[in-house]
Amino acid sequence: MGTASGIIKALNSGIKHIATKRFTFRYPEQKLKFVGDGYQYDPNSGVGIAGYKGRHILFHDKCTGCQLCAIACEDIAEAIAMPKVEEEWKHNKKAIMPQIDYGKCVFCGLCVDACPFYALYMTNDYELSSFTKEALIYTPAQLQVKPKVDQDVEILIDEKGAKHG
Amino acid sequence: MSNQVHPKDKEILPGLQIEKVDDRIMTLNVGPQHPGSGHMRIILKIDGDYIVHTDPDPGYVHRGEEKMAEYRNYITNIPHLERPVIHDSCNILYPYCLGVEELLGLEVPERAKYLRVIAAELNRCVYIEYWLAIYGIFLGHSTMFMWPMGDRELCIDLLDKMTGARVTHAYFVPGGVRNDIPPNFEDVCLRQINYFEKRLKEYADIFYDNPILISRTKDTGILSREDAIKLGTTGSVLRASGVDFDIRKKEPYDVYEELDFQTNVLKEGDSYARSKIPWLDMFESCRIIRDALKKMPKSGSVRVKLKPKPKGGDTEVYRRVESGRGSLGMHIVSRGLPQPYRLKISVPSFRNLIAMPHLLTGEKLGNMPAVYWSLNYWPVEADR
Repeated sequence: MGTASGIIKALNSGIKHIATKRFTFRYPEQKLKFVGDGYQYDPNSGVGIAGYKGRHILFHDKCTGCQLCAIACEDIAEAIAMPKVEEEWKHNKKAIMPQIDYGKCVFCGLCVDACPFYALYMTNDYELSSFTKEALIYTPAQLQVKPKVDQDVEILIDEKGAKHG
Repeated sequence: MSNQVHPKDKEILPGLQIEKVDDRIMTLNVGPQHPGSGHMRIILKIDGDYIVHTDPDPGYVHRGEEKMAEYRNYITNIPHLERPVIHDSCNILYPYCLGVEELLGLEVPERAKYLRVIAAELNRCVYIEYWLAIYGIFLGHSTMFMWPMGDRELCIDLLDKMTGARVTHAYFVPGGVRNDIPPNFEDVCLRQINYFEKRLKEYADIFYDNPILISRTKDTGILSREDAIKLGTTGSVLRASGVDFDIRKKEPYDVYEELDFQTNVLKEGDSYARSKIPWLDMFESCRIIRDALKKMPKSGSVRVKLKPKPKGGDTEVYRRVESGRGSLGMHIVSRGLPQPYRLKISVPSFRNLIAMPHLLTGEKLGNMPAVYWSLNYWPVEADR
């Protein structure tokens, strides 16, 4: 192929894309949609349920303070501590619950796999930035809160090309 | 007194020594902070515009992954072992999981094997697209930086749906995969992969048939078939020199022998051939994913239940897979403990780096980026 025809072919290929919609989207206004409500684990079958690995959610009515999540995290990120909580539960005599430091967490989800009581799951919340290191440490009370998510942008594919919408 | 070295002749740092050389020769450090060189340094000696001596200096991002693995059990090793190549994290965990399964005597469910193949091939596409984007911007082709970065999102989106993370998936475990795919994933995957393949074909017009690219990469850094074998290169570098070697065909692991694909081999052995092989590999990856989705069992278990801290016997195993850069192997020595006694990672990047002095010496300095990045080299992986 000649040099001129090759350059014209390359330019032509680029010009075709001027008319198509942009593949990027406006992030803070629009957010990408994920599958399900976050990564979960079923200890009975020993298999996880697909979902985004974001911030954790802790169910206080199920947590027994067994520390298995903290032990699972020990060799990975050492992000989980077990402080005392001022709550009284029959199943949690020691009254300790996980507290997660998101400055250390690597979001592998192996703590969720370790929990045998369906007490620790992950959510679709990934916006965890803060101005101080202390604010990254989520106490059991903060982990209990269900995150508000308004994620609705998906990849759409038609004849013209792919776009987010 | 004659043994004393004058302070001016002493070596201060490798590559920075003050030496009495011909005035024509200049030492040039490329990296380690240069955005193009990656986390490594190439010490070049140049005579005018020609490179007369090349000394690659890796090791800036050594993290001691092998030593770390000796202090963690077989499950907690997973998150840190995928850090060397976060874009190809499924493929670096693959040999580890295959090895540990052999140590512990685990039988992986059929569906999990297919899911692993799909995840590994998607991850290969993600890696190659990233590599291609950097190769494009190295050669001053900014469209080739934008397009692969955007199209890479299609595969990342699929992996995100499948594993729950955009990079560093921690999806493979000894005994299967962490979770099953979400409902109607097959349809979404098929649609996005078909579109992805359509986009890949468009790269030919703008990049691979582009006369500017051809004039910059054709006949630069030629590696002959004999030298490629002698230097021990692997992956796309070896296949671009005319050697038909792919672990997926030669030593099929999991379900690769049941899937329909071929290996791409080019005879030229120059930078153009080396940059073309990964692009052709992506078409094969799409073919494998489509075939795997068709042949995959529709339901079934995906993970074998493990004891909390499984112990291996008094043996050792070596398993290797074909990663995005070439053959990636792991040698695990077990002494009946819950953690490996020794873990050795044999990485393709380091093996391909050996070819660099051979290829760069004698080239023009302007050809350095075209030759360097065509080696499919990932500094973080080479340093472990």
